[in-house]
Amino acid sequence: MKFDTIIIGGGLSGLTCGIALSQKGQRVAIVAGGQNSLHFNAGSMELLGNVDGEEIAHPVEAAQRLQPNHPYRKVGIDHLEELAQEAKTLLDKAGLTMSGNAKENHWRITPIGVTKPAWLTLEGLATVASSQLPWKAVTLVELEGFIDSPLQFVETNLAAQGVQVKVARIAPAVLTQARRSASEMRATSLAKILRNHQALASLAAEINQVTTADELVLMPMFLGLDDDALAALQAQVKPRLAFLPTLPPMVPGVRIATALQHYFKMLGGTYLLGDKVVDGLIEDNTMRHITTAKLQDVLLKADNFVLATGSFMSGGVVADFTRIYEPVFGLDVEAPANRADWTLAEVMDDQPYMSCGVATDDTLHALKEGKAVKNLFAIGSVLSGHNAAVQGDGEGVDMLTALAVAHRITNRQ
Amino acid sequence: MNKETNEFDVIIIGGGITGAGTARDCAMRGLRVLLLERFDYTNGATGRNHGLLHSGARYAVTDKESATECIEENMILRRVARHCVDETDGLFITLPEDDLGYQKTFVDACRAAGIRADIIDPAEARLLEPSVNPTLIGAVRIPDASIDPFRLTMANLVDAQLHGAVALNYHEVTDLVIENGRVLGVKATDLHTGQQKEFRAAVTINACGIWGMLIARKAGITINMFPAKGALLIFGHRVNQMVINRCRKPANADILVPDDTVCVIGTTSDRVPIETVDDMRVADEEVNILLTEGEKLAPALASTRILRAYAGVRPLVASDDDPSGRSISRGIVCLDHESRDGMAGFITITGGKMMTYRLMAQEATDLACRKLNVNKACATATTPLPGSEENSVSQQEPRSFAVKAAQGRHGTMADKIDADTPLDRALVCECEGVSVGEIRYASQQLHVHNLMNLRRRTRTGMGTCQGKLCACRAANLLGKYNHDAKLAQADLAKFLGERWKGVKPIAWGSALREAQLTATVYQRLCGLDKAVARKEGEQ
Repeated sequence: MKFDTIIIGGGLSGLTCGIALSQKGQRVAIVAGGQNSLHFNAGSMELLGNVDGEEIAHPVEAAQRLQPNHPYRKVGIDHLEELAQEAKTLLDKAGLTMSGNAKENHWRITPIGVTKPAWLTLEGLATVASSQLPWKAVTLVELEGFIDSPLQFVETNLAAQGVQVKVARIAPAVLTQARRSASEMRATSLAKILRNHQALASLAAEINQVTTADELVLMPMFLGLDDDALAALQAQVKPRLAFLPTLPPMVPGVRIATALQHYFKMLGGTYLLGDKVVDGLIEDNTMRHITTAKLQDVLLKADNFVLATGSFMSGGVVADFTRIYEPVFGLDVEAPANRADWTLAEVMDDQPYMSCGVATDDTLHALKEGKAVKNLFAIGSVLSGHNAAVQGDGEGVDMLTALAVAHRITNRQ
Repeated sequence: MNKETNEFDVIIIGGGITGAGTARDCAMRGLRVLLLERFDYTNGATGRNHGLLHSGARYAVTDKESATECIEENMILRRVARHCVDETDGLFITLPEDDLGYQKTFVDACRAAGIRADIIDPAEARLLEPSVNPTLIGAVRIPDASIDPFRLTMANLVDAQLHGAVALNYHEVTDLVIENGRVLGVKATDLHTGQQKEFRAAVTINACGIWGMLIARKAGITINMFPAKGALLIFGHRVNQMVINRCRKPANADILVPDDTVCVIGTTSDRVPIETVDDMRVADEEVNILLTEGEKLAPALASTRILRAYAGVRPLVASDDDPSGRSISRGIVCLDHESRDGMAGFITITGGKMMTYRLMAQEATDLACRKLNVNKACATATTPLPGSEENSVSQQEPRSFAVKAAQGRHGTMADKIDADTPLDRALVCECEGVSVGEIRYASQQLHVHNLMNLRRRTRTGMGTCQGKLCACRAANLLGKYNHDAKLAQADLAKFLGERWKGVKPIAWGSALREAQLTATVYQRLCGLDKAVARKEGEQ
């Protein structure tokens, strides 16, 4: 089977690259293992939130101060704003309306009620203009039996910023079914029940009973998986609603993953779900073909290949007792040679392993034995050189390296 | 018992299994008892060992007295603490590199100590325990078993309290009250409030394990103790169904114990300075030894996920200059400081092993009773612990996985856990099946102040996810029950830090993967680092 480009990895970077290439008319296949780190996304994209321990209000400007091996350097700091705009347009076309821009961060509210800088946030989720909350008073909706939204923490963190917090408890009968089974009381399961209009109406009725029109109501996002439930609920309740992401499994992340997959397929892309690349032939610094676990007898060929397999948690890089390596093609990685240097003593430190990943040249070509593979690019979290948990740049790196590579591939044709 | 009173018959310092067992025995004999624990119950060696219900076979060749004590206590605990014991049986295997001749010495010594020891065919051993190293050339079956030290300690404490004892954790003894060559009581600080308190009793019992030498120093008494660090590794699932030992003289990493849903390999043995015992960290070299030797017992360990590494300190009483500490007797040391040092009203109970805690408690209590002129016999060898009464399995039909799991953890006490409302039944820890109701029960009845306490009482966060999601859920609930969400949030960060301490020495493979996922959830997604930093900044 022959494609123009084959992308390995179906997360945010792989889908972004696949969509961008499909929009240009390429024949693209994505080999996706299954769930990806989008399932741990709170509905926001971060471009750059922290440099040297300082929260960032103007990410494009602050990117000038990034470390020399940061992936943005290989995209071109000068191109960040333009690529970021392109990313936003791409999301919009996929049906994901997001607010925000690359010049100025806004602040999202995390599942525990902390503010963090963000570049884009899904419509409906609570955001504020700066780290300091502007609210005088809010009402938190607590759904009985739902323990994936730590409202005690939300309350204490909002109160620490001087916000008066009222808790309004609801127990809509329509969700009784879900509550009967202890493991069904998860945000994504509730969202499936609330696809039903009658169910949604009874939730709205409960909210109206415990709130008034002049309140700002913060509510855990356990609806709106793939429909317009957020807006529909807002239309039926008196107060203004703003949604809070929950702990995983997270509705906004699944919504983004689903929408991007749909859009990619709609553009004619081939999404090989639940498959895994097991082998590939590299000769003369060129990737000739790959084989997957499910299509063992078929050589998958393409002009270009893109590795978007993520970091350790997605299996894109693997550590064993003695070394950190890239498991699919044995590509070069940037990682400390000694295991003792992979980690630091305190859990919240800037852990060195977080910045380990595949080595690339200045144009994001993956390296093998020190030489760039001419038609193999690496994008997203598999790349070395940054720590998304500390720098707040995860989605930015995923999307912007994906778009930069898509440009390089299409310009080359 | 009136909690306000400061007068007791006996004050017990130390909330490990020895202290808890002594509190129970004293209370059952009608004494007014106060137990003080500096941090959490089981925080010392009690919570940092294999969880092995020794048959005594391990000591049979080198220390017959300990071996005999072990097998007697082994049989007693199977009766009185049945909800804490998993009757797995054990194997002592001989590998090609070992001397098969040792097997006879071993079996003879076991039998002399009263330990059943049956030589079985290696093929039968492979059938009984499929995970065992298939190249074994000899096997002996002995009555080892697995025991949950957290559960055992809490059951003793719960029963002590049922008999009127007062138990306080997070109370650090800062000084002994001494007048005219007599210990009259203790001064203690409530570590949560900073409040200074003074308690009086005719007898004070020092049951602090290795820390006991520091308590004794406060009375000007020297006990030469031997802090022997033992490191262990926990694997992500239960590879073996029986305890697997090496049939040779005790050495590093030669015991693999199935504990609940996991299994534990250990230990190493190294002398450490007493100054370091509050912060035991496992070194890379120890991990290497444990893995290399562990794989010889069960080759599957090589490909099994390691959950974490931990280390405890054995409270051995030094008697010679042995550098490894292995030839020292594991025997019980019960010191009457009146006759030994001229300090009346003061007893130290130390040495021994978790296995012999009940006997240690009995000896200490006998001595205390003599001092108090109380003449009542010990009944702990025949009275079941709460949770282990006859008909130990609740008559109530288990309604869910969580109810069943809770019954496994709490025995008959599980009936006290609410499961009536949907919220009570909501699962907090999916790996271990811990419900909201169980967490509320633990927080109200089992002295739970923080996530570490909760983990030890309920196994919340002990499963394969190591608290990735349940820690946040549970911390939020504790914030609610203890009416302090700010503290609970700081505690969550502390808990993650504590877990990381155990993961760092084994941070490769799945452990590193999971660590990254945890960082993604708590740092990147939730901003817990920011929440905690701001809280610190405010103060």
